[in-house]
Amino acid sequence: MHPATATSVPDGRTYRTPLLRRRFLRGLLAAVVTLPLIGAAAACGDDDAASDGKVRLSIFWWGGEARAQLTKQALDLYTEKNPDVTFEKTWQANQGYFDKLATLTAGGNPPDIFQIDDNFLAEYAARNTTLDLKKYQDSGDLDTTKFPPSLLQYGVVDGKLAGLAAGENTQGLVYNKTLLDKNGLPEPTTGMSWEEHVAWAEQVSKKAGIPGTQDPSADYKAFWVWLRQQGKDLYSGNELGFTVEDVTKWFELWKGARDRGATPPPDVIHEGNATDITKQLVVTGKAATSWVWVNQMPELKKNTADELGVIAYPGDPSGQWARASMYWSIFRGSKHADVAADVINFLVNDPEAVKLLGTDRGLPSNLDLRRVISDDATDPAMKQSITVENELAEKFGESPQVPIKGHSKVKSELTKAAENAQYGRAAPAEAAAQFVEACKAAIVS
Amino acid sequence: MALTTAPDPTRRGTGSVRPPAPRGGTGRIRHGEGLAGYVFLSPWLVGLMAITAIPMLLSLYLSFTNYDILTPWSEVEWVGLANYERMFISDPSWWHSVRVTLNFALIAVPLKLAAALGVALLLNRAWRGVGLFRGLFYLPSLLGGSVALAIVWVNMFNREGAFNSFLALFGIEGKPWVNDPDWALETLMVLAIWQFGAPMVIFLAGLKQVPTELYEAAAVDGAGKFRQFVNVTLPMLSPVIFFNLVLETINGFQGFTAAFVLSNGTGGPVDSTLMYTLNLYITGFTDLEMGYASAMAWVFLIAIAIITVIFFSTGRFWVHYSDGEDR
Amino acid sequence: MVASTVAPPVAARAQRPRSRSWLRLVVLLAIVAVVLYPLIWMVGTSVKSQQEIVNNIGLLPERFTPGNYPDGWTNFDVSFGRFFLNSAMVSLLTVIGNAVSCLLAAYAFARLRFRLRRVWFAVMIGTLLLPSHVLIVPQYILFRSFGLVGGDWPYLPLLIPQFLATEAFFVFLMVQFMRSIPRELDEAARIDGAGPFGIFRHVILPLSRPALVTTAIFSFIWTWNEFFRQLVYLSNLSDYTVPVALTLFIDSTSQSAVGPMFAMAVLSLLPVFVFFVAFQRMLVEGINTSGLKG
Repeated sequence: MHPATATSVPDGRTYRTPLLRRRFLRGLLAAVVTLPLIGAAAACGDDDAASDGKVRLSIFWWGGEARAQLTKQALDLYTEKNPDVTFEKTWQANQGYFDKLATLTAGGNPPDIFQIDDNFLAEYAARNTTLDLKKYQDSGDLDTTKFPPSLLQYGVVDGKLAGLAAGENTQGLVYNKTLLDKNGLPEPTTGMSWEEHVAWAEQVSKKAGIPGTQDPSADYKAFWVWLRQQGKDLYSGNELGFTVEDVTKWFELWKGARDRGATPPPDVIHEGNATDITKQLVVTGKAATSWVWVNQMPELKKNTADELGVIAYPGDPSGQWARASMYWSIFRGSKHADVAADVINFLVNDPEAVKLLGTDRGLPSNLDLRRVISDDATDPAMKQSITVENELAEKFGESPQVPIKGHSKVKSELTKAAENAQYGRAAPAEAAAQFVEACKAAIVS
Repeated sequence: MALTTAPDPTRRGTGSVRPPAPRGGTGRIRHGEGLAGYVFLSPWLVGLMAITAIPMLLSLYLSFTNYDILTPWSEVEWVGLANYERMFISDPSWWHSVRVTLNFALIAVPLKLAAALGVALLLNRAWRGVGLFRGLFYLPSLLGGSVALAIVWVNMFNREGAFNSFLALFGIEGKPWVNDPDWALETLMVLAIWQFGAPMVIFLAGLKQVPTELYEAAAVDGAGKFRQFVNVTLPMLSPVIFFNLVLETINGFQGFTAAFVLSNGTGGPVDSTLMYTLNLYITGFTDLEMGYASAMAWVFLIAIAIITVIFFSTGRFWVHYSDGEDR
Repeated sequence: MVASTVAPPVAARAQRPRSRSWLRLVVLLAIVAVVLYPLIWMVGTSVKSQQEIVNNIGLLPERFTPGNYPDGWTNFDVSFGRFFLNSAMVSLLTVIGNAVSCLLAAYAFARLRFRLRRVWFAVMIGTLLLPSHVLIVPQYILFRSFGLVGGDWPYLPLLIPQFLATEAFFVFLMVQFMRSIPRELDEAARIDGAGPFGIFRHVILPLSRPALVTTAIFSFIWTWNEFFRQLVYLSNLSDYTVPVALTLFIDSTSQSAVGPMFAMAVLSLLPVFVFFVAFQRMLVEGINTSGLKG
């Protein structure tokens, strides 16, 4: 249960509780934990650890129906090749996914294999929920030799391989090509500086009558790229990798853009700040560009009749990196970790499986297979995003460290601070100071 | 009041919280009734002990720990009052969510109840098609908190939304309501009021319980419709009004779904719709600070309990029970 | 009969019948139009193409796309009809559970005298007050340790609480209704020799119909719409209920099938609407207690 008499908390103080209350609580907890064991004993009858060598693995991922189909096919293929292994497949849209995953984990029965992304990887790894995959990597059961090193590295938390990249993506600036062509405006290009981007957007606003660019000041992935281009980072060890001055500069850059009319009004910016694909301003026609992930191109395309183009974020493209769009992780308490590792290996390295899965989770992590998939792609929007990402891959910088515990709070605080500045409720410097202060509290606690 | 039930002089209300129990001299429990009481109560008692109480007490315990959902119980650390200190002393967003919630509840709850009662009275009489009308008025409540609702509402109340088109008919320039931090909470209130179906149904059911002979008696006494409303309907409906008031207040303070759905679970823009329970949910599940979230929940429970006690203690001045108790 | 709220001036009495019912109809229609506009918009959107949903916020589609309905129905490996059946089953069982167990508890609170009644009543109200989100994880752990999670029939954790009157809302609701039933009826029954069970059977039960109908309506509709607990306890696609299935259409980061989602959201309103209209009939017939007093 809880520690015996006194517990020190992070700030060094020591709390003591009256003995009586401790006893009561301990009694209560004991009751909760032991009493139900009687029931649990009965429930454990259908344990997966059957003696006949048959293994049933649970696997949980988020995504849409298309991903569900592809993943099911790939897993069925595995079962076909390994008839003793079957799967309990659960999938969910991203709404509620992490709530459910956390609840299952708390209940002691998270799935053997689960999908996770960089927003939560460190949270789960820091609590020892994920299995360190290093030993499988070392033994060769998990073949990572064909992975881009930086992509592999982006799954390492505190020296442990917490998740294996299920696919790669990177930041992409999507623009409305039809709109630009119609108004005789130039297309933006990779390598334009941020100032040039704003100037270009201002020109678009004036000529096309539609704001040139979504204001990404609330978007952590844009802020992150910009920081890296300034020689900073989002995190450095267990601390923030930036200062109030950096944030102020970032907010001022976009205040300037807003003042020049390069961006939409704050309420429209807010609408576009939602992560939903269907709310991106470039498809709702409320701005000429949106800040997304490259692999979202095909889905964006489905929401608009206009032709879209995609390039890197402004500034030096080496600010971008091979980001794992999502990872496969194994629950540390899994009874069949060896089999689970083999399944993950299959999903990322087996030519047939990778072919089935395609680019649904991002570009395949295995470079050999990525080439094959790229050549086979037929959907034009898909081809476009593959081409761009392959071009960018040559310019990628080193991958940063995986976002640390408290990252979700940092993200929401950035949105709040940036929107405060956008709505004119705070000056950039003021909003920046509030943001940094809130982040520090979030990371410590 | 023109009611047939005679007050029972042996049971007189005394102060404090007024659950329906008689007080004071009524310690006598009629033979067999005590046992019968527990027999009827047994399913609830079992449910309380086995299902409700343990998680509640656990959450109370967790409120003194740094529980983060992912860490096993055995490694949870006791932090004493740290969560409570943080809430009151160093968490501006907690105070902010308290203000947002008060603001919401104080305006939305009375308006919603008024709308529900008004429409219930309009729909009380039996006439052809009344069932359809009741159903139509209930429809908005059927939507609950589905994803579709979020999309619908945003498109009613954003810059290009239907509401602004309506205002434009009168030459009024609207605002980007849902996306304007000064107005987003008001859109949420409109949504809450729009879903007035639940209290409306309860009012309707309550109106059906008013014995018709009371109206006949009042009519014989020469009371007009208005007098009948004041002297018969209102007092006879008061237990139901009381119920709706208590429950809608609790619901208003707990208002989660609408805020969650409309703001994509963020409480935005700029925390303008950060209702208390939404803040609590984000803290517990997104930021994984369930210990702190539990502390928030218990402070909430105490605050609401105080409000509820106040309601119950004022209830005896205006709530009329036909069972002759608590007057 | 009951006054239609706003006091009509006595002078207007003469020409009341016609003009007033017309007036009422006009007022009602006006309110209905405002109240229903968002829903009509929703129906309109359910027949728009994906691109139009994102870009055309008008009431009507430019291109009528009824295909959203069959697409939504067959969007998953499991037909949407299965989700409807699952939801209907869970909702109906919840209705029965709540109606029975809450009625029993409410009778005890409203009519019987027993030790600690006030304490239990306060506890019951207290259980309404704690925000449910902090209970989800402890409750999950509890149910799992009882061995109730993830069996062949995964609905047990959703249903068992409903049969144990854990929805204090309904207990309180019924208490309030029962307290509107004049106590002389009990006394009359008692004189006829009825005990607590007889009074329950012959007086309270028949007179509790409005409360029972209300409970049935709310239990059904709320369960039909409930998301979080169903999300946590159901893990097989074929076990999913309507609210869980509806979220599957939209994965905001990758794929969104907004049109089919709207179509199914509109369809999912129908059963609850029908359930409501059918049950509210029972609210129409007034109750005349005088007959029972005899």
